[in-house]
Amino acid sequence: MKKILYQAAVAALLSTSLLTACNKKLDVDPVDNIDASTALATSADVEAAMVGAYTGIQNVDAYGGYFQLTSDLLADNGDIAFVGTFIPPNQFQRKVILRDNGFVQTMWLNAYNTVNRVNSVLGAIDRLDTPGKQARIEGEAKFVRSLLYFDLVRLFGKAWNDGNPQSNPGVPLVLTPTTVISAASQVSRNTVAEVYTQVIADLTTAENLLPGSNGFFANKYAAAALLARVYLQQGNYPAAAAAANRALQVPGGALVPSYADEFTSNNDLLGNTSEDLFAIQVTAQSGRNELNTFYSASRRGDVEIQKQLLDQFEKGDTRAKLFRTLSGVVYTTKYDVLYGNIKLLRLAEMYLTRAEANFRAGTSVGASPLSDINRIRERAGLPALTTLTLPAVLKERKLELLFEGFSLHDLKRTQGSTSPPNMPTEVIPFSSNQLVLPIPLREINANPNLVQNPGY
Amino acid sequence: MRKNYLLPLMGSLLVATTAVGQTRAVSGRVTDAGGSGLPGVTVLEKGTSNGTSTGTDGSFTLSVPAGATLVISSIGFETQSVLVGNRTNLPVTLRSNATELGEAVVVGYGSQSKADLTGSVVQLGSKEVANVALPSFEQAIQGKAAGVFIESGSGKLGQGIRVRVRGVSSISGDNQPLYVVDGIPVVSDNLSSTSAATNPISDINPNDIASISILKDAAASAIYGSRATNGVVLITTKRGQQGGTRFTVGYQTGRSEPTRKREFLNAEEYRTLLTEALQNFGSSAASIDARLTRYAAGQADYATNGVDTNWQNETFQKGRFSQYDISASGGNEKTKFFFSGQYSDNNGILVGNRYQRINTRFNLDNQATDRLKLGLNIGLSRSDNQRLPNDNAFSSPMQIVALAPITPFIDPRSGLLSGVLDPSTGQPNSTYPFYYNPLISVRNGNYLTTSYRVLGNAYAQFRLLPGLMFNSQLGTDIINQDENQFLGRVTARNTGPTNGFGFNAATTSARVVVNNFLAFDKVLNELHTLDFTLGTSYEATQIKSNSVTGSQFASDSYKTLVSAAQITAGATNQTENTLVSYFGRASYNYAGKYLAGLSARLDGSSRFGVNKRYGFFPAASAGWLISEESFLKDNAVLSMLKIRGSIGRTGNQGFANFASRALYSGTSGYVGIPGQRPLQLASPDLTWETTTQTDVGLEYGFLQGRISGEVDLYLKKTTGLALSQPVPGTSGFATLFKNVGNMENRGIELSLTTRNIEGPFNWTTSVNAARNRNRVTKLDGPPILGNFLNRAQEGQPLGVFVGPEYAGVDPANGNALYYLNTTDTNGNLNRSTTANSNEAELVPLGNPNPTWTGGLTNTFSFKGFDLTATLVGVFGNKVFDGGAQFYSTGFNNGPDNQTRDQLNRWQKPGDITNVPRAEYFGGNGIALSSQFVRNGSYGRLRTATLGYNIPVAVAQRAKLQSARVFVQGLNLLTFTDYKGWDPEVSTDYLAGNSNPTTGVTNTQGNINQGIDFYTAPQPRTYTIGVTLGF
Repeated sequence: MKKILYQAAVAALLSTSLLTACNKKLDVDPVDNIDASTALATSADVEAAMVGAYTGIQNVDAYGGYFQLTSDLLADNGDIAFVGTFIPPNQFQRKVILRDNGFVQTMWLNAYNTVNRVNSVLGAIDRLDTPGKQARIEGEAKFVRSLLYFDLVRLFGKAWNDGNPQSNPGVPLVLTPTTVISAASQVSRNTVAEVYTQVIADLTTAENLLPGSNGFFANKYAAAALLARVYLQQGNYPAAAAAANRALQVPGGALVPSYADEFTSNNDLLGNTSEDLFAIQVTAQSGRNELNTFYSASRRGDVEIQKQLLDQFEKGDTRAKLFRTLSGVVYTTKYDVLYGNIKLLRLAEMYLTRAEANFRAGTSVGASPLSDINRIRERAGLPALTTLTLPAVLKERKLELLFEGFSLHDLKRTQGSTSPPNMPTEVIPFSSNQLVLPIPLREINANPNLVQNPGY
Repeated sequence: MRKNYLLPLMGSLLVATTAVGQTRAVSGRVTDAGGSGLPGVTVLEKGTSNGTSTGTDGSFTLSVPAGATLVISSIGFETQSVLVGNRTNLPVTLRSNATELGEAVVVGYGSQSKADLTGSVVQLGSKEVANVALPSFEQAIQGKAAGVFIESGSGKLGQGIRVRVRGVSSISGDNQPLYVVDGIPVVSDNLSSTSAATNPISDINPNDIASISILKDAAASAIYGSRATNGVVLITTKRGQQGGTRFTVGYQTGRSEPTRKREFLNAEEYRTLLTEALQNFGSSAASIDARLTRYAAGQADYATNGVDTNWQNETFQKGRFSQYDISASGGNEKTKFFFSGQYSDNNGILVGNRYQRINTRFNLDNQATDRLKLGLNIGLSRSDNQRLPNDNAFSSPMQIVALAPITPFIDPRSGLLSGVLDPSTGQPNSTYPFYYNPLISVRNGNYLTTSYRVLGNAYAQFRLLPGLMFNSQLGTDIINQDENQFLGRVTARNTGPTNGFGFNAATTSARVVVNNFLAFDKVLNELHTLDFTLGTSYEATQIKSNSVTGSQFASDSYKTLVSAAQITAGATNQTENTLVSYFGRASYNYAGKYLAGLSARLDGSSRFGVNKRYGFFPAASAGWLISEESFLKDNAVLSMLKIRGSIGRTGNQGFANFASRALYSGTSGYVGIPGQRPLQLASPDLTWETTTQTDVGLEYGFLQGRISGEVDLYLKKTTGLALSQPVPGTSGFATLFKNVGNMENRGIELSLTTRNIEGPFNWTTSVNAARNRNRVTKLDGPPILGNFLNRAQEGQPLGVFVGPEYAGVDPANGNALYYLNTTDTNGNLNRSTTANSNEAELVPLGNPNPTWTGGLTNTFSFKGFDLTATLVGVFGNKVFDGGAQFYSTGFNNGPDNQTRDQLNRWQKPGDITNVPRAEYFGGNGIALSSQFVRNGSYGRLRTATLGYNIPVAVAQRAKLQSARVFVQGLNLLTFTDYKGWDPEVSTDYLAGNSNPTTGVTNTQGNINQGIDFYTAPQPRTYTIGVTLGF
């Protein structure tokens, strides 16, 4: 009996000893990801986090394509036809957006996700080991943040020139990194004016802090260019002309000789050119050019170009060569490069902005409006104009910046109107609720403090 | 110490040797009431582990000491005890009884007799799953266990299968039961690199399964603690029995076809309706003609050239099925073995879909000494799954139905499959047909998932004292999965003009399980039966994977990534989790009448947050065998009556590893420059979901068990749901994983078996039905939106469809209308209508969960013939026809071919119809609304098998012990109102579970229920087979 008890004890001991050893086994650390508390420990960590923010704007939900496509489809009045099977862009083109539109949700979520990346960088800015790095990274962070807020407020809020921006709801301004979800996370919408004020303040800081040359990351001139775009949207023409003029001072900057050189290449990559102030970088390994996916006939070919658009080109306009016909249907070849960089701020826009702002303000900051417009026309292979009118400026701007995401914002700025493709006689004015995106349904559900836009 | 150990061992060896000296051989044959030999019946010398099982003809031989009693048992039959006496030949006839009390039921870490059971357990035998022409055994038990809902989701082979025991208990976590094979919890996680899940459980050869126990209530399952809420499926594989080596070989072959095709417009109807839709859009006659000509491969005579392509027919094929089985088993009183091998080859009903599997199994038991028993179970398998793209991919074969019937199958301009070559460019067409032709990918690409699996365990049982056994088990489950995808140049329109595309991923999932437990049983004064189990368990699972993606191949002949000139992506991933557990069970039985049970498990999991590392899961149960009381004993009518009840707590930890930690991800590099970003917020209190389950059961038998059955009522209350809760996206995060919210499942389960006719002609009927009512009772936050209309919403069943309510068509203009359903300040409902779906209130539109599920199995036998037919029923569920927004909207979403019901569209003012005006890209009636919510109830003749056992005398002339031929049909008949392909549906790309390696979390898989999105129907399969024993 004693032996038996002994054996039982051995067995019991065996089991318990197996167990005590096991408790430590519960401490398993992740391998693929790292603990947030150690992620921003060093200067290099914060720099890497800033790079992560660029990846956020590279996303298809932002400047990888959706921001531009949304703007161009919403404003379109029959220049193009979206024939793809994706429902969200179809709704944009019809100007009948349902509150559960998938693009609307992912654009919102990705933009704020990236804002949080930027805010995390700014929250750890003191960890950068030199003042130079600190200035550069703060400048880049504020550039990226204002880029996003400027597009968010233009897509989800009423236009600056539509009613009172001091009271019109814009989008919530979140300026600090999120570490916990609390009642404070249920933010309210700031006014359109508050968002613009923040954007201008951030960009002004960025322009001051950023170096003149910074690889393909944001530099001083990119910040000035974006500032010019903001001022133009506000109708602040002197400030727009001045900012555009500052952007045009970029060392080595010049329009490429041929318009096609800016958008086409003989391989599947398209790099930055002397004309680019800021572009989204795409390679076979990083990012996706969603404009290629939607526009290119070698991909989905979802956007068919209509005669109405082609008829707007003057004879001899080399920009009209960036179209091709397949089985009787016309497609743009502007985005045929599979891994092409996506041009966000280029000198041509700055010439056009400086020209328009000067024209409207009656000034000639940097150059006369006519010479700026003719510089664009000359590159397009068109004869120089001798006199200038506002419609001529706007037409040049439209054809130069086609499919680059300007349509909706220029339509609102110029108080134009549009109509749905199947109802060409119906007029949708620039101030229509149909041209403002709904706050995503999931966001309204998650945050009772958010007020939905009218019409949704 | 070593010495001490060995002495008693040697002593017992001596005892054993003496015992052997006094034995003699007894042989016999076990038959059923009709006189047919019963194979696989367990013949055991009472009180020992000395036993054998009958051969294919029912015969057995066993050496026993004089005066021994044999216990003869088999699932589905009453157990008999036979005193051997002086006889050497024992004929035994077993009476069938589905609720036999003596039947041994496999439970967690042991087995119990059915009579002593105080929990709710369904046990199914090997014949329920053997030789069914399906890749995975779960599909074969559909409709056979009350309260166990099984849904295949799609007719694609090897895909994930939903198994729901007593409803869904989790919103963001796993809802599949825990699978335990021969005592080892196995990996059932989805390891697919696509968002469509595969099913690792299909690596198990159904013909190796001896029994399946499904633990449903807390009394039965709580011993599995933090993984038990969704039920536990215990699989026991076949073991060798004493006696001469017996061989079985089997062969089965058959054909399959889709259960249903959907009706689409033919060429003439398409032309007519599209022309009308284009006219309504405002297109000119010339542009309509140009468009139709384009669709018709540039053939201007499209109206008369007779082209009428039925694209749907091109995507289906006649499936072929064949399966080869061999097994051998036998042994002596010390060593027994079971060996099996299987090869099956299943060509699906969709072109390009094939599932092949080869399995071997080796199970060995050795009675080393009187006290020590050792054994080994090893299952090896290799499966080759030729997969198809996800349902939502343009290249998914089913999406071919979108193509126009006026588009020729062969493009007359190139003489090739439409879309392969544009002679004007020399490249594949990029805009013709108007969508990518998925057959191009089928013919010029493949996606092969090869999975090698080793499922093995070694065990030792050591008898420490009489009645006290120490059990030790060491198990491993190793999966090596290789995924290989190649897409040739002609697929450029879908993959991009990259001169071919290749993807390869290798995943290794390795799990180690160590179980150690003591089992003790003792009978005191012949009245008190005590049973204790106490043990520990440790589990560690590590998953590692790597993948490479590349393009730019010199030609399509080069298919491996070594020839990819451009590597576009590469990754390695690693993740791990551990579980440390202590468990115990005590059961007490007084006089075979009064039963009580207690069980508990303490689980520590690496997945839980630092503040909540250990969870405790107790359960208590009691039972009363009323029919054993003197006042009922020997009652002629009521032969058995038992009531039982249980209450207990179980958990669910089926969520991502490291979900509790605040993490940064380094995956956001930017064109070669390293980058990082915040990935998720901390949730330090994250822990298991807790379910408290109450169960009351009644087991009954009348007329010596000719009528028998069970009734169970249960209530499962889940609290602290591990919820991927939506948070304001402005925070930079979309969700936070934390324990909030409650859910409830309540239901009733009924099962009834009647032996209608006994004798030479036998007829047995088994019917079961279950009703489950699921409610999300609390969310503490916003509703969680699924991909279409599904939601998790407080007060509603999980996955409820919520959206605008369709109100039909405005007779004046053909616009689709929706009810406003707004409530004014007085609480009055506004039932007026609007054409703008944004104005309509979002209201509950239907429940994707069935209210009733059940099955009816009839078995007939006469002489050597037997016929078994199982009818399954699923009632009260709704299906969302997700593709209808494209193919049932009168071209309002593009040129996709339309279903024939669109011919009833509104055409002119005054038309009364439910189908809105057709208008090309008009957006009329495309809102996701109740218009596309359909009744998904169905009844289905799931299996029907007719077999013939050749008389033993005839078989023996051919030197065979037995021979059986059978014909079988699967899904022969379907009864439903659903007009789509198949009401048994859940589109693969949304219903998939998370993949633990890649960290791709699909926390919405449980919400996205009942969605049809170009989802393939189940196959209707006919097979013929033969099984020979010798």
